[in-house]
Parts: sequence; structure tokens; C-alpha cells
Amino acid sequence: MSSVLKVSDVCKTFTQGDQEVKAVDGSSMTVDKGEFVSITGKSGSGKSTLLGLLGALDYPTSGSIDIDGQDITKLSERKLTNYRRQKVGFVFQNYNLVPNLSALENVMLPMEFAGTPKKERTKKAEELLRSVGIEADKQHRRPNKMSGGEQQRVSVARALANNPKIILADEPTGNLDSENGQKVFDLLHGLTRNHETTVVVVTHDLDIAGKTDRTYNLKDGKIKQR
Amino acid sequence: MNSISRGLRNAFRNPTRTISIVLILALSIGLIIAMLAARQAVDAKIQNVKGSVGNTVSISPAGVRGFEGGGTALTDAQLAKVSDLAHVTGVTETLNDRLTTSTTNLQSGINPGELGMRRSGQTGVGTPPSLNENSDGSNSGTNQQTFTMPVEITGVSDASDASTFGGSKVTWKSGAAFDASKDENVAVVGTKIASKNNLSVGSTFTAYDTSIKVVGIYDAGTDFANNGVFVPLATLQKLSDQSGQITSATATVDSLDNLSGVTSEIKSTLGSSADVTSSQDTANQLVQPLESVKSIALFSLIGAAIAGAVIILLTMLMIVRERRREIGVMKAIGASKATIIRQFVAESVTLMVLGLVVGLGLGVLAATPLTNMLVDNSTSSSSSQGASGPGQGGSGFRLGGLRIARTAARESNENVQASVGIDTIGYGLLAALLIAAIGSAVPAYFITTIKPAEAMRNE
Repeated sequence: MSSVLKVSDVCKTFTQGDQEVKAVDGSSMTVDKGEFVSITGKSGSGKSTLLGLLGALDYPTSGSIDIDGQDITKLSERKLTNYRRQKVGFVFQNYNLVPNLSALENVMLPMEFAGTPKKERTKKAEELLRSVGIEADKQHRRPNKMSGGEQQRVSVARALANNPKIILADEPTGNLDSENGQKVFDLLHGLTRNHETTVVVVTHDLDIAGKTDRTYNLKDGKIKQR
Repeated sequence: MNSISRGLRNAFRNPTRTISIVLILALSIGLIIAMLAARQAVDAKIQNVKGSVGNTVSISPAGVRGFEGGGTALTDAQLAKVSDLAHVTGVTETLNDRLTTSTTNLQSGINPGELGMRRSGQTGVGTPPSLNENSDGSNSGTNQQTFTMPVEITGVSDASDASTFGGSKVTWKSGAAFDASKDENVAVVGTKIASKNNLSVGSTFTAYDTSIKVVGIYDAGTDFANNGVFVPLATLQKLSDQSGQITSATATVDSLDNLSGVTSEIKSTLGSSADVTSSQDTANQLVQPLESVKSIALFSLIGAAIAGAVIILLTMLMIVRERRREIGVMKAIGASKATIIRQFVAESVTLMVLGLVVGLGLGVLAATPLTNMLVDNSTSSSSSQGASGPGQGGSGFRLGGLRIARTAARESNENVQASVGIDTIGYGLLAALLIAAIGSAVPAYFITTIKPAEAMRNE
């Protein structure tokens, strides 16, 4: 199986007052296409920081991140925007849906940024929402009229909008009860199996981590495969 | 939906806040529009006053104001020098005199009244009033009507312009003006004195033991002006034994550009024997309250514009700060900075346009009352200052163009009508867009500094 993601000796340092804090300290990892990978670790271990680096939300202090054969640490800001638009999809712990847009409009948003025509993006958003279990009667609801599980499924649909190669999920079940958490997990798991989409999920839930193809553990900024 | 329509929709995301911001912006924009309208109206009036007073220079003997003060009359010879100056297109001369019961059979058309009785003792004209004495020796304070108002007679060297007889509103009731170049014993009189003495065109009256024929009766709109008697200058000089003497003159200059220079030359020619006043000086002095209003309007306009910009700036900063994570999420899912900035600018422009619509209504409603209030305050403040100054509150003595200028200016000050036209709305719109642009610029900068990693922040 070919690797879609290769992280080599990545460091991320923050300055807090007079002190330098190494959130990620020389981490390296590889993820294959269609693989479901989890990153575990205690709170403050640097999991979310690493996920942000993989999603080009921030630049690493050193090291390289190759995604689909391209080192994203060398890309300009403009190219990084395109990378985020085309290659990755994000699922956040707090769902992060735009509150005054409906579920459908939220899913259409990444497609609008990618320049997809309105008719096409409406049709695709409806399909995606149906595929995650949000039927037509709920597609025009605003996030505050939906349950946490529903919001997270909308968030997954939004992440899939531009057919990304990688889905990066930050504690996707963290705010959900076990039933809804399982649904979202199954959804992400299904993506890897049915669409060969690579999923990297950050979690502190060892049950979930145990069900993924590969698990990395992050401790004090250093990563190890379990 | 695109970034523009999202921005438009976001403007209504918090209705209570939107209403508050729109109302505050509307007040600011309303004030801008009202002040723009006030400034335009006042400016138009200033130009109107300056234009209406013409290019004239008033000349009077030094120390004279009306029939008060002393001084020596000017002479034909002195004014001939003025006529010869470059850029002077003409000089009209007048001679004033007062007719009393011993020099005319005319009776004044104006009753002395309380004011006339009080002043008769000060001017020495007629018999001073006496007070009724009560049996206990105290005064009752009632005047005996033994005093009659004097009749003012004016000799003019040019009667072709009706304004000579009392301002721009003079109309002929019957007859017409005389030929002022001749020394015929003819006169035009005002309706008030004509009515009092049963005069009509063709009838005569006596002055300086000479019979003078009425050739015209005019109406100048006020009792005072309609109590005048006008004769050719040469006639009055001859009858009153004031040959070659002049009590006031008005020099007309060929253009406004030369007015200041000619005024200086006249002053230099006549020296200390004459008081020389340019009509523009007078107009400038009289429109001073309007100039103050113009300045106040400008400062208010600038203040309102700055306030509007600050309001929208702070509002947008607050909104951007509130939506940091949302901006981060949008960046994380592929939005460019330009897309996000466009969305926020659309939101700020929507708020401004709403403010403009409401503010326009407020501006239209407030323009005239605000302008009138400013003009009234400035004019009354200026009048009260002027009345206490030296040489003010003059009598009915004519100072040619100067008097016309004062009348025109006073009338103009009283009739400033502010209206909100298309150009004012256009300027208001421009100001609103400028305010929105300034108000959005700083928030736009902050948007560029927000990192997409903000989306990962768990609050």
C-alpha cells in the first residue's frame, strides 16, 4: 500500500513568556492510503498541534510533511489555502459549523471556496448529508436546532465536500454520547473502507483508538507507534 | 450563497445589535446630511447676498451717520475726482435735509409715538414734549402731543434706478421718476406721506418757500421708507442753499475684482474728509453670522463622519473578535483571506446602507430646523453684539448701496431654506461608503492575522 502521508522529524515550538515550549518534538510517522490511524495522548501532549500541522493550519518550526508527494511545509500561504481546500477535510471536536447557516449551506461552503457551481454543490451537499444520515427535513435546519450527533455528522459531510484524500478529525466523539460517538466512528471507518479515504483521528478514547488500523501515542511532544 | 450574500445575512445575525448600530449610524449620517444641506444652503445665501449688493463703494462725510454726528459735507469737486478714478463707472450723489414746519407745509406721514417723543428732546427738532404736572407736584408721565416728526428730503443725482427710493422692493403706485440731471422743482414721494398730505401726481406742496410738483408716488414696503420726499440733487442744492454740497455718494466699480483697489484709491483721494465703505466689506460683515454657521456645519459634518467611522470600526472589530474561531474555521476549510474580508466588508456596508437609509430620513427632517436654529442663534448673537457697538442703530439716513446691502443681507439671513437634493444624497452616500471603507479596513487587517489554527482552539 502506498503512503499518502509522511511526517519526518517535525518540531513545533511555542514561546510562553520567557520559555520555549516544544509542543511537537521531532515526530515522524507514515500513513498509507485508505488507512484509519489514531493518535492518542494525554491532554497537552501535542496531539491537536500535530493534527494542525498535518492540515496545514500552522507551519512547523522544523521538519517536513509530505502529503501525496508534496512537502506542505514549503508551500506559500496561497498554495496552503488550496491544499486545505482540495486535499484535506477537517472534523472538529466542537463541530465548528457556521451558526447562521443551515446544515446544507455549511456543507456547501467548502465547495463554494473551491469554485463549484451552485447547482452542483447543492446536489452534492444534499447527497452527502443523506449519506451521513441527515435527511431532507433536517438539511435546512441551523446547527442550534440539531443534536450534537447530528451536528458532528454534518461536520463529517462538510469535510467530505471536496473529495479530500485525508480526513483529519480532532476528538470527533469527544462531545458525544456513546451511541452518537459510535455512529460517527462508524461513519469515519466506512470512509476508509468504502472510499479509500485516509482518516487520521486524534482521540484520548482508547476504545476508539483500539479499533483503528494503526495507533500512535504522543507523549511530551514525542510520537511512538503502539 | 456567496461571500457577499453571507455578509448581508450576517448583518442581521443579532437583530438587537443591528438595530442599535443602525440607529447610531443613522444619527451620524443624518447629521452629516443635515450639515451638508445647511452648508450648501448657507453658502448659496452668502453668494446671493454678496452678488446682490453689487460692486459699489459708499462715501459719506467723515463723522456723519444719519443725522447724528458732525462733519463737513462733501463737495461736487471732491466727487468729481472719484469719478475720474480708473474702474469707476459712475458716481451717484445725494444730499439730505430735514424740513420742519417753518420750511414746508408737508406733515410727516409718521406719528411721533412714544419713541419719537422721547427722541425729540435729544435731537432738538420741533418743540420738546412737556409732562403734565399733577396737583401734588408729581409728574403723571403723559406727553403733550406738541411735537411733529420732521420730513426728510433727499436730492439725488440719479433717479433711473427705483432702488434709490428705498431698496429693491420699490414699486410705482402712480407717475414715475423725474429726470435727475435737471434742476426742476419736481418730486417723488412715498405713499405714507402722500396719503397724509392728500398728494397725488400733479399736485404740489411747498418747501423752502417754493412750490414743488409731485410727479411720482412709490411704495417701498415700509412706513419709514414711504415717508420720504425725493427731488433732483441740483434742485435741493439750490433750494436749501447748499450749492455743490453732498452728504453721501455711491461709486460703482466695473468689476468685483477691482472693488478693493478702487476703495483704497477713493480713501486715498478723499483722505480724512470722508468715510469710505465698500459694499463687499459691508456684505462680508453682514454675512459673518452665515459664515459662522458654515464653519459650524463643516465641523459638525467632520465630527459626525469621524463618529460614524469610529462606530463602524469598533462594531466590526467587536464582530471580528467575536468570530475569531469562525474565521479560523473558514480558513481551515479553504476560504481565502479575500473571500473572508469581502464577507465582512459586505456586512459593514450593509450596516452603513441601513444607517444611510434611516439617516437620510432623519437628515431630510432635520436639515431645515437645524439650519434655522444655527442661523437664528448666530444672527441673534451677532445682532446683540452689533447693537451695543459704536455707530450702530442709525437713523433713516440713506447710505445708498450700503443700506441696500444691509437690507439684502438681513433678508437673506432670515430666509435660509435648507433642502436635501440629489447632490446632497450623493455626498451622503459617498461619506457613508468612505466611512464603511475606513471602518472595515482595520478589521480586515485583523482578519488577515487570524490563523486557521484558531479553529482548533477549544473554549
